[in-house]
Amino acid sequence: MKVQRLSQIAPSIRLTRNRHIAEFWRIFQDPLLFVGLVLVVLFVGITIIAPIVAMVQESRTEQGQELFENYLGSPVYRTIIQNTMEMGLLVAAAGTALGFLLAYVQVKVDVPFKRLMHIIALVPVIAPPFAVATATLLLFGRNGMISRGIFGVRYDIYGLDGLTLVLTLSYFTVAYMNLRGMMMALDPALDEAATNLGASRWRIFRSVTVPMLIPGIAGSFLLLFVEAIADLGNPLVMGGNYEVLSTRIYVSIVGLYNTTAAAVLSVILLVPSLLVFVVQRYWISRTSVVSVTGKPSGTPHMHRHPLIRWPLFAVAMFVTLFVIMIYGTIFAGSFTKILNVNNELTLEHFDFVINGYGSEAMKDTTQLSIIATPIAGVLGMLIAFLVARKKFLGRNALDFATMLGIAVPGTILGIGYLLVFNEPSEITLPLIGTVTVLPKLTGGRALLGGAAAIVLVYIVRSVPAALRSGVAALSQIDPSLEEASISLGEDNFGTFRRVTLPLIRPAFLSGLIYAFARSMTTISAIIFLTTPRTKIMTQQILNEVENGRYGNAFAYCVILILIVLVAIGILAVAVGTSSGAEKTMEGGA
Amino acid sequence: MKKPALLLTVLILAALALPVISPAAQAQDDTLTVLCTPQEDWCVAMTQAFQEETGIETSYVRMSSGESLARIRATQSDPEFSVWWGGPADAFIAASAEGLLEPYEPELASVLPAEAVGEDHAWHGVYIGALGFCSNVEVLDELGVEAPTSWEDLLDPAFEGNIAMAHPATSGTAFTAFWSVVTLKADELEAAEEGTGYDEDGAPTEAAIDAAFEYFSQLHQNILQYTRSGSAPGQMAGNSEIAVAIIFSHDCVKLQEEGFAELLVGTFPEEGTGYEIGGMALIANAPEPDAAKQWIEWALTPEAQAIAQTVNSLQLPTNPDTPVSELSVNLSEVNLVDYNFPAAGENRTEIVERFDMEIAPQPTE
Repeated sequence: MKVQRLSQIAPSIRLTRNRHIAEFWRIFQDPLLFVGLVLVVLFVGITIIAPIVAMVQESRTEQGQELFENYLGSPVYRTIIQNTMEMGLLVAAAGTALGFLLAYVQVKVDVPFKRLMHIIALVPVIAPPFAVATATLLLFGRNGMISRGIFGVRYDIYGLDGLTLVLTLSYFTVAYMNLRGMMMALDPALDEAATNLGASRWRIFRSVTVPMLIPGIAGSFLLLFVEAIADLGNPLVMGGNYEVLSTRIYVSIVGLYNTTAAAVLSVILLVPSLLVFVVQRYWISRTSVVSVTGKPSGTPHMHRHPLIRWPLFAVAMFVTLFVIMIYGTIFAGSFTKILNVNNELTLEHFDFVINGYGSEAMKDTTQLSIIATPIAGVLGMLIAFLVARKKFLGRNALDFATMLGIAVPGTILGIGYLLVFNEPSEITLPLIGTVTVLPKLTGGRALLGGAAAIVLVYIVRSVPAALRSGVAALSQIDPSLEEASISLGEDNFGTFRRVTLPLIRPAFLSGLIYAFARSMTTISAIIFLTTPRTKIMTQQILNEVENGRYGNAFAYCVILILIVLVAIGILAVAVGTSSGAEKTMEGGA
Repeated sequence: MKKPALLLTVLILAALALPVISPAAQAQDDTLTVLCTPQEDWCVAMTQAFQEETGIETSYVRMSSGESLARIRATQSDPEFSVWWGGPADAFIAASAEGLLEPYEPELASVLPAEAVGEDHAWHGVYIGALGFCSNVEVLDELGVEAPTSWEDLLDPAFEGNIAMAHPATSGTAFTAFWSVVTLKADELEAAEEGTGYDEDGAPTEAAIDAAFEYFSQLHQNILQYTRSGSAPGQMAGNSEIAVAIIFSHDCVKLQEEGFAELLVGTFPEEGTGYEIGGMALIANAPEPDAAKQWIEWALTPEAQAIAQTVNSLQLPTNPDTPVSELSVNLSEVNLVDYNFPAAGENRTEIVERFDMEIAPQPTE
């Protein structure tokens, strides 16, 4: 029996391998597809893989090895590593819980103001970094308008508690969107069946709802963990003496320009990030229990029992109002002289930002984001198409490598760019001589004043989301539609353009929106790449926040949020969508 | 249907085969890029005034002096900046020792006080300021302490988590503070036993530096956080986040002038305090050398130095013909340490690396 089975398996392996090669051959035969694949692979190789490899190599030099031993052997650095992990776990737990709560209320409980709660839960996606931290300091800091103004406490918000609060508020949207999507996909028939079998509400929640959502919960937890340990802006503003790896990396670059030390610390930070990413990708996605074959039948059963409804409503509403208050503070702060010290109304912050100091940065940042956005969107859809529709060797590797663009902490990517692109890459060819393959992209006299490197980073950070939403959209579209188009004589490119692309338009739009918002608000990945000729808004916001000129920082944030909102509006009109901006935002997670 | 696809493929391949056009290394001097270390609004005012005066399109990037030094060092083969303006001279001396600066003697060098002219005219002083403490009176009240008037006062456990200073690796202000303590410790050692505080060249000894590290590791217990920029702690004091900021006294006055007059009070340590000579230098291999030289000439004129007051930057000007604001510090009333700039510049890199390794990341109890 056993022998027989083995012999059955062997040919099937051979068969699939042959099929892969055959598919690969087919791609090779279609020049356009082939060129697309080559371009994508080159892009991913140069802009994502090479910087990460360079960074790891830098940490493996003799000097790096020595530093490794120093760091890992020193109790101080062990504490810092521990701090980083502790903060990551706390934020992951709190953010997932908060996201779950809001998603549950949104999908399963019958309460008023759902729409408001939903919009507020999405706001953090477009919020610039530091905004939340700074507002929180003003509200709950040692001289906070609430902690001290109302409760009379000189609350010490610096450190772990403050960081957990602001990071949770900055990132819970990820968990919210994930879990809300999953909850909406849950088939209410399951609940009904359980009810018919006599289960109580609590029992249904515990033994039906939660188990079905475990992959979503775990996935959100891990994503939040990675976001939290990679975050740079918040620990810089309110870390106090709670040191984490990202701030240490920052000082080693800006203060000492010690790329080796930065690379070593980065590798220490990279290990947990990558580990989590791999676990999330291979373990969680395989343990999915949600049925994807059928759309949910009927409308979800809403909780109407007042004892469930109102407490949940109260908590969700509290969170909503809290977020509103944070953003209200930003808005108010941008129009007052020194919020909480001198509350006189003024436009001087806007004047300072718009007419002087920030005008160039506003132009540069918006321009670079506008360049990066369509490239990221198209690239994302292209990779999604290749990955979801074509079978070729290295398909999974391509998907994985693209996703690394976001799985890797931004500071690490930035240091990698410094290491790889600080010199022009040249190859010496016979006859022709030395040819510059890639000009210098960072530092002095970089191509386009470093703007090229920043656009690349913007793209790299945005493509993964476009890829995921593209893959998700494609998996819901029957390939037979495309096959029909091919059978009718359209070529691959025409099919992609005229059949596939229109069908995944909402995913494309959400990819674009996400790319633009992400580019405008990114800080950690580009902070080491700005040059005198390229000024970036987020970096200037950091300057203002670090120097305590909160009014200017808030004015900046308000302008940045406005730019992003206007862009979303324009994109929605330009690309067109039948599903409304709200739906496209969901895919953007 | 195949044709357009094929054409496109050819086009893309052709585009790829095109040699990448490298940007022309333009060194025309109708532009100037300034590495600016003082506060942002002063940088804006200076660059705008220079642009109006000369028609040279002037842009700047503000970086703290440690950051600036690191940046110049990292980009020395292809400098991004042509002139570096402001920030304590220690960093300029360190940069000069590494060959990162190009000596240039401006006409007005002769009117400057002797200590404001760097060796071989590698750098020139544009302003002078004294280090002090900037305290928030409300927070002091609450903690039940007086405004500190000595370095020892800062070690009072009552200040736990209520003092801020910048990180010496990024900030010249913080390095000035560090070196002031080094000097005081050297004086102490020298008083106890001759030859232990200063070496034969008059530079503080290793023992004095160790003693300063000892002091800052004690002070670390009271520090809330090390900021990147030297003046940032002053704002934290203004916003009542901390009780005491260790900053230059002119930065404290600037805050008082800009809305914190009733909240902030400036004091000086009685043992003695350090001071800075704000430097200015031409960067070696500068992309816009002529414009940079023009800037250096201009920045020493009384007109250029008087711009400071318009943005409440009340450092003392180095050109004696510049009118001095009555709000500026009167150096004869402050006990200044004998600040050895060359020794400070020489030891700078080693000290900040050690500080970053031994003190900054330490957890506090």
